[in-house]
Amino acid sequence: MKKQILAIVLMMVSTGIFAQEFKLPKTSGKLLISEVNNVTIEGYDGKEIVFSSMDGPKEKDKRAEGLRAVSAMGLEDNTGIGLAVQDKGNTVEVYQMKKMGGPKVKIMVPKGITVSYAHTSPYGSNVKFRNLASEIEISTVHNSIHLDNVTGPLAVKTVHGSIDVIFGSTINNPISIVSVHGPVDVTIPVATKANIAMTTSYGEMFVDPAIKIEFEDQGEWKKYGSNKVNGKLNGGGLDMRLSSTHNNIYLRKK
Amino acid sequence: MNMDQERLNSMIIDYIDGKLNTVDKQFIEQELVNNADAYKLYEQLREVMHTIEKAEQLEPSAKLKEKFDDFLQSEIGQQKTKTVFFTPVWYRVAAAVALLVVGGGVGYWISQQNRNKQEILALQMEIETVRRLALAQMNNDESASQRMLGIMAVYESVQTNKPDDEIVDALVTTMNTDGNSNVRLAAIEALSKFTEEEKVRKALVQSLSAQRDPVVQIALIHVLVQMKEKEAIKSFKLIVEDEQVLPAVKDEAHVGIFKLS
Repeated sequence: MKKQILAIVLMMVSTGIFAQEFKLPKTSGKLLISEVNNVTIEGYDGKEIVFSSMDGPKEKDKRAEGLRAVSAMGLEDNTGIGLAVQDKGNTVEVYQMKKMGGPKVKIMVPKGITVSYAHTSPYGSNVKFRNLASEIEISTVHNSIHLDNVTGPLAVKTVHGSIDVIFGSTINNPISIVSVHGPVDVTIPVATKANIAMTTSYGEMFVDPAIKIEFEDQGEWKKYGSNKVNGKLNGGGLDMRLSSTHNNIYLRKK
Repeated sequence: MNMDQERLNSMIIDYIDGKLNTVDKQFIEQELVNNADAYKLYEQLREVMHTIEKAEQLEPSAKLKEKFDDFLQSEIGQQKTKTVFFTPVWYRVAAAVALLVVGGGVGYWISQQNRNKQEILALQMEIETVRRLALAQMNNDESASQRMLGIMAVYESVQTNKPDDEIVDALVTTMNTDGNSNVRLAAIEALSKFTEEEKVRKALVQSLSAQRDPVVQIALIHVLVQMKEKEAIKSFKLIVEDEQVLPAVKDEAHVGIFKLS
């Protein structure tokens, strides 16, 4: 027992050494994250949004000592980890100072805060969302997106990236997941009740055998050229749209 | 006392008529002697009865009687023809029951009609409320998913595939100006169900040149191709020539030109 406590304390100390943190008390509203290249966003039972840098100890720029970073957008680094965080009451806006690269950021978000992530530059890397039971909006061009243990509602869009979503035990209406070039890979509980629409122009659609789709009646004239699947899961329910123009769609069971 | 008085009255009357037995007669005579009130009553009654007896016996004339008998006979005859259908009792009962059923039925039908009318009115009110709420939900700046749900609700509020101008305008505005691409896609999807409407077709064609997000451009090209809108070919050509447009979108525009020409 003593050993375990000691190990935890040691771990906390060690992460404390490496990770720099910025905390903002907030329990509701919307977190808008713009142009942050490499970020993991995680839900937790807390009362403040915690921004931390996951980078190991870096060599400090001695020339920059005592100076503050500013960006072309007129923003200043007010967190010490390369982010500008602006509290605007109901919304909190987060920008990254550096256009390319930048810090590896982890953001802990209290429950009840909805998260919106927007990214347009070609320097985007992985974006991860974990354990979030609130609404998520993601609009990117180049990033690949990973969502794990989320409930939705989801409005997710990327042009070049892939989208991987593993839902928790419940899913909230509506779900809209769209990629142009990347695969869309979604894992849902088998019992999910949904009206599902899957669209692809050049890709294929794969569904777990345990997930039964009641296909919408197309009438007398079957459209063999159609690239859209409309159907119901378990009698229908929430609205779920999955689309990948040039890549495949995968629907897996949890 | 009262009973005695009544009994006394009737006994006095009988006494005057001479119908009493000897015992009662003695009793009344005793009473008349002893009781001044009784005697007074006796006097009055005797006078009245005397007058009645004295009154002339009126006999109807033979002619009148004959006339009356004739009238009575004819009346009886008439009544016979009138009541012939209802003479057995169960006919009358059946008629009453039938009347009751018909009356009740009519009453029920009227109340049902009223209730239906009220229900229809309530339903119309409800639809209108839902429509208002949905349109308001489409303008929720806070949440993209709420706006998507608003679009779906607005779409579902449209009956017989005939959206009114307010709904078309709201969907077109969302398609062209919403900040979130997934929401724009939902608006395009909803509008694609109303392509019978000239206004909707026009709006979809015009929207293509205004869209910048490849995801939305591709979805819009698909809808325009699906509805076989020849007008769209011009916009497709512009996209093919546009340097800024993503190659994947150009591919779709090429396919569109091929399919529609």
